[in-house]
Amino acid sequence: MEHILSILIFFPAFAALIGFLVKNDSIRMYGIVVTAIEFVLTVYLWANFDTSIGDMQFTEIIPIISSYGVNYLVGIDGISLFLVIMTTFMTMISIIGLTEKRDLKHMIITVLFLEMTMVAVFVVLDAIIFYAFWELSLVPMLYIIGAWGGKLRIYAAVKFFLYTFFGSLIMLVGMLYLGYVYYQTTGNWSFSILDWNMLILPFDMQFWLFIAFFAGFAIKVPMFPFHTWLPYAHGQAPTIGSVILAAVLLKMGTYGFVRFSLPLFPDASVYFTIPMAILALIAIIYTAMVAYAQEDMKQVIAYSSVSHMGVIILGIFALNVEGIGGSIFLMISHGIVSGALFMLVGVIYDRRHTKLIKDFGGLALVMPKYATIFGIMLMASVGLPLTIGFVGEFLSLLGFFKVHPIMTLLAGLTIILGAVYMLVMYKKSFFGPLTNDENKKLKDLKGRELAALIPLVALVIILGIYPKPILEPVDKSVSQMIDIMKVKAVNDSTKVRLMESNSIAGGQE
Amino acid sequence: MNTLIPPVVIDFVTLNFSTLVPMLMAIVGALVILCIDLVNKNLDKSLYVMLSVLFLFVDLGTIIGFSGDVRGFFDLMLVDGISILSQIVIVFASILFILTTMTKLRFQEFRYPEYFALYLFVVAGFQFMVSSDSLILIFVGLETASMALYTMIAMHNRAKAIEAAIKYFTMGALATAFFAFGSMLFYAVTGTVELGQISEVLTRTNFDNYGVILVGVVFIVGALGFKLSLVPYHTWVADVYEGSPASFAGFLSVVPKMAGFVVALRFFEIFIASGDMYVEILLYAIVVLSMTIPNIIALLQTDIKRMLAYSSISNAGFAMGAILIGTTQATSALFLYWMMFFITNLGGFTMIWLNRTKQNSQFATDHALEKYSGLVKSSPLTATMMALFFLSLAGVPPFALFWGKMYLIGSAVNAGYIILALIMAINSAIAGYYYLKPIVYMFLKEPLEDKEVKYMANASNSVKTLIGFCAIVTILSIFFIEPLLNIISYYVQISGY
Repeated sequence: MEHILSILIFFPAFAALIGFLVKNDSIRMYGIVVTAIEFVLTVYLWANFDTSIGDMQFTEIIPIISSYGVNYLVGIDGISLFLVIMTTFMTMISIIGLTEKRDLKHMIITVLFLEMTMVAVFVVLDAIIFYAFWELSLVPMLYIIGAWGGKLRIYAAVKFFLYTFFGSLIMLVGMLYLGYVYYQTTGNWSFSILDWNMLILPFDMQFWLFIAFFAGFAIKVPMFPFHTWLPYAHGQAPTIGSVILAAVLLKMGTYGFVRFSLPLFPDASVYFTIPMAILALIAIIYTAMVAYAQEDMKQVIAYSSVSHMGVIILGIFALNVEGIGGSIFLMISHGIVSGALFMLVGVIYDRRHTKLIKDFGGLALVMPKYATIFGIMLMASVGLPLTIGFVGEFLSLLGFFKVHPIMTLLAGLTIILGAVYMLVMYKKSFFGPLTNDENKKLKDLKGRELAALIPLVALVIILGIYPKPILEPVDKSVSQMIDIMKVKAVNDSTKVRLMESNSIAGGQE
Repeated sequence: MNTLIPPVVIDFVTLNFSTLVPMLMAIVGALVILCIDLVNKNLDKSLYVMLSVLFLFVDLGTIIGFSGDVRGFFDLMLVDGISILSQIVIVFASILFILTTMTKLRFQEFRYPEYFALYLFVVAGFQFMVSSDSLILIFVGLETASMALYTMIAMHNRAKAIEAAIKYFTMGALATAFFAFGSMLFYAVTGTVELGQISEVLTRTNFDNYGVILVGVVFIVGALGFKLSLVPYHTWVADVYEGSPASFAGFLSVVPKMAGFVVALRFFEIFIASGDMYVEILLYAIVVLSMTIPNIIALLQTDIKRMLAYSSISNAGFAMGAILIGTTQATSALFLYWMMFFITNLGGFTMIWLNRTKQNSQFATDHALEKYSGLVKSSPLTATMMALFFLSLAGVPPFALFWGKMYLIGSAVNAGYIILALIMAINSAIAGYYYLKPIVYMFLKEPLEDKEVKYMANASNSVKTLIGFCAIVTILSIFFIEPLLNIISYYVQISGY
């Protein structure tokens, strides 16, 4: 178990290299096996994970540039554990459901490579190495969107790359500065987030560093108004690209806020609560409205992603256990649900080569299984109770309600908006008469597609009814993080705010 | 005024001729090559290449023998840590760059042994330049190297080669004049041409005659600016690189600049250390402009070689940032950055060099972006290698140049140059865009159907091995950074920067 995290990181990369030797027609099975092994490994990790403590576990450190404090440092706690599991799970599912035929070998190898970077981002605890994997994840995604995407794929891919690349560079400056601050305070260089957590920073410094890190994370999330790359990326990406993008890559941004911004800059986090919430709220309302106006099914889901990411941000900046824990749960559930939705759109696109809502209608008549699964996922997406989507959304909003009831009310109202655009899309494409002749011959889900989708449906329902196994370890680590924030806060008002928002017992404390 | 010219006392013990040995190795090598040509004219270029490599290896060996701060040869030579370090970079880079001439296609210039002799003279010239703090010897070294460079460019068998050589020559001549004039002004003010003593005198006299000194600075900046291709003295770069073979353009983008940086380091140290505001502002402006303007111009290029040319200007601007910052860490960062840049640029330029064809291609230029459309389909390994080097140049971790960038930006941050660090970051993002362009062409676009392009036409096994070496170093650089930094900071510290 000692090196399990390193194995988790480098196994897919190693498998990707070996994959070059596999013949083209067998590569899909190879991909499935590799990602399945990786997933099993993460489950094994979970089984060995001590859920009674909130600390980092399975830590491992190897000096890289020790004179400058850069180490290969990995570790996992309740916050990252389920994100890693979700990552490996969704990667596996997306390869099972993969429908691409062109250059399949390159595709699978790229996805395996991407898996390495994604897992690494969630378990690496050294800022520089984190940054390295964070940036490296752009390259395979660039290739996936650019090589297998739609008509505007190159524009979309380059836009995606440059937006995130730019933001991250600003973040890098922030990280280097923080390393320097650590050096000045202690006399040693370190880029370890665990070491940084000991630092108590004056408010001015927190203010600027928060902005620097914000540049990196907000673009990735994406928060309004930095979200413009996302509809392009989703619109042009092949199905597997959209699935991974929505399920995992976007979570890197919100994870970054939780892992870096909150514990490192508690005062600035409190200071920026309202601006962040306003941006999140704009994202929720505005993109929900934009989603309503979309004619393309995939775009509807893409915009709904931005909208949901807004709720996650709202939850994070509630700065209490319910809010943060809920938003982490929402990250996982959104990963599963939006991944599934993109896959479902991929299924129909595969058959009809169109994603426009107006081309469909009455699909439920010819594709009952498809319509059922789509329906379930849709319900989860709009946050229907007893589905996975409800838990996270509810907790996030509950958390923020303690901070700012009116804003929460607004955000809550727009969840109704979300239901509206989703249901309207569903109604238009699945109900009514079968007007289009081409749709009459559509085949229902095939075995492989069902194999990919049914586990997702099961998860959506099981975790919707019984979220405790995930919520508990998450909350443990989150409350520990909040304790760190309380200790580190330099302004009294921050301490008060953290006490207040965590005071009313939410059942967990 | 009796201090102007101290009497010359010759003492052979203190002359310390050993300081000259490394350069002599290169010069002897050059002479040997010329003599061999007198005896037999029909020898293959591989002999000359290997002889050059051999002599350069001996050269490298003698450099490593030094342990720092040795003066010699009438006090003209100064072998300190900086000098040793930069000589190692110069000679090592020269060894690798000369190997790129071992290509499959036969080019006119490589058939002449003079080419290789000149090459060794260039190396010797730059070695002189970095192992002295006397403006006179720097001048001599600079001219030795430059004269040889002009000739080598002119030997290239392309229509644009002569244009490039003349352009380089005229610009270089102007720079020479600037340098001479600047040195003269400093001599007039301080009565010495040794940078160390100039610094002493200036500090002692509290920068008397400040106006004259400033004019001197401006002239020296002009001279160094040409050599280092800093804005606004960068205009020759793209044309000269375009007119030279890609392998030689790579050499031009790395080795002469290393020498230039050392001189700039020694020169600007005088003013940075004393906190001279005007010089600092001047340098700041030059650094920012040299990073930004060529970067923006590079966005518009449709030829990969020209793009790399502009990018190397921008990279020189980056490295100059280290001199502006002036801390020990920054100086170490300068060397780390340049080593990483060297290995990546060697890979990048050699890759496009291997893809050159002898006939003029059907494209507007030799290395037009369209030529590389869909390369991944026809030659995946070639495309991957090129992409690797471009990603490294763009600063995508964990590839070589990222660590240089990180350490340099880090040193800027640590010295309080936050704005500079941000400008560096923004420039890296701009660079990301144009490095993405060839990658987009190679990986994401469909191959051109009606045009027949040969890739890797120029590749031979030895150069492929070289590429492999560069690729391995680029990918695994993360493991070399720590030992490299230790060596670099040792040498930097013993010479007091």
